[in-house]
Amino acid sequence: MKAFEVIHPGIYTMIQDLGRPGFMKYGVPASGVSDTFAAKIGNRLVGNQPGAALLEILLFRLELLALDDLIIAVTGGDLSPTIHRTPLPMWQAVSIRKGDRLIFKGRKKGFRAFLAVRGGFEGPKFLGSRSVFARGLMGEPLKAGQILERENEILGPPSPRGLPPEMIPDYQTKEPIRVMLGPQEDRFTPQGVETFLSSQYKVSPQSDRMGYRLEGPKIEHVKGADIISESIARGAIQVPLDGNPIIMLWDAQVSGGYTKIATVISADLDRLAQVMPGDQLRFQPVSMEEAHRALREETERLQRAEKSILG
Amino acid sequence: MIEFENRIDPGINLAVRSLGAAIEAEKIQGVGEVLPTYRALLVTYDPLQIEYRDLIGKIQSCMGKARQIELPPRRLFRLPTVYGGPYGPDMQRVCELTRLSEEEVIRIYSEARYLVYFIGFICGLAYLGGLPEKLRVPRLPTPRTLVPAGSVGFAGGQANAIATDQPSGFNYIGRTFVTLYDPREFPPIPFVAGDEVIFPPVSEAEALKAKGRRAEDFR
Repeated sequence: MKAFEVIHPGIYTMIQDLGRPGFMKYGVPASGVSDTFAAKIGNRLVGNQPGAALLEILLFRLELLALDDLIIAVTGGDLSPTIHRTPLPMWQAVSIRKGDRLIFKGRKKGFRAFLAVRGGFEGPKFLGSRSVFARGLMGEPLKAGQILERENEILGPPSPRGLPPEMIPDYQTKEPIRVMLGPQEDRFTPQGVETFLSSQYKVSPQSDRMGYRLEGPKIEHVKGADIISESIARGAIQVPLDGNPIIMLWDAQVSGGYTKIATVISADLDRLAQVMPGDQLRFQPVSMEEAHRALREETERLQRAEKSILG
Repeated sequence: MIEFENRIDPGINLAVRSLGAAIEAEKIQGVGEVLPTYRALLVTYDPLQIEYRDLIGKIQSCMGKARQIELPPRRLFRLPTVYGGPYGPDMQRVCELTRLSEEEVIRIYSEARYLVYFIGFICGLAYLGGLPEKLRVPRLPTPRTLVPAGSVGFAGGQANAIATDQPSGFNYIGRTFVTLYDPREFPPIPFVAGDEVIFPPVSEAEALKAKGRRAEDFR
């Protein structure tokens, strides 16, 4: 079943689902939606499985033509979605008509929006997932003229109400990103660790779903930045010899030979999806117990949100 | 992350892989990826499904079992390789640095058996060990931005045959046309850690015959 024709493909719009965990031992990153809360809520709003494929949209310019009457939901960062010059309400299921043009006019808050369509987007599956990962020859970003089809994996009725405003994530928070130090914290001087934890870092334009390169005060190593290559967990912060940290993210390589000073806790990864080049980040160290508690809170926040949508 | 002795050694890697296999065999609820590398094992887990303390206890009990665990039988892949010319952009550099002739480089490189220590980087890069001492040369001063899939090369004490087009700072002396990565297949890459690979020299015409064929056919 047809859903949309792509009039303008936007910056780097792609189909994502919850990714392909379990293939890292074959060198394949898990990929998957960058902001899991926004994606799962988007799918729930239109009555899909929370892991249905949707569009991950950057910044602005995407323009889609509806080829059928559709039920959609836009969540995540506010990129000013509009239909016929009227702002499209976000975080709720909306009916649109065949012939409607959906345009993302520009960023107001956050960085990435998610477009869910009732039924879920169709797309080629690689290793069990529709997540596009072009470097791994697994799909490509949208192209002008492309026809987007939808599946028919519906779970229930669309939500009669949107997500309550107080449950919408605050994408402008200046709270520090929480990290656990290690695994190679001892390869940095005490001054180097102090620099990392006390400084502001700017997200460089050379950042993408593989990793965010950060610019700021240089982090000092004890002696050299090389280790014997080992696995890289999502959120790990590598520091090569130049002293500039790199946060390894959704499409990152699975192994590498640079020292890692810390790892962003799982509960804060969604927030990184809504950070854009030029934004400033600070880091705050937490214990493993705090990291686990934060993940539990994050999971409960999602459950509460799902419950309030489904009623 | 479980760390072993800090060096590249087949025995240490075997211990890493054995513990990884023991943990996988245990099918512990809440454990995600089990990733062996040269001398470290990364185990990812969901702390909402298993307490850290319980996980450590289970891994410790796996350490005893790891000694008896049976790893998959070692397989040998013979990947036909065309050396030098347009397929070996760094052959000249390797000859100069090692003071060997092109024939000697090819002979020494192709007579060695390479152990697959682990699969990583991006899209099925096999980290190979067993490079002869005589071929020890440093990485390129500036990495190439794009090296074609199937390029066969080495740097430091390591060797590789890269699976997809990608940037690399290794010295490349030849090319195999055997398919080393296919995301439409499971598994997407032919090797597992513990396998062995050799790169027998063949003519260009012979090497090209392997185009589109799976590595399975060259065992």
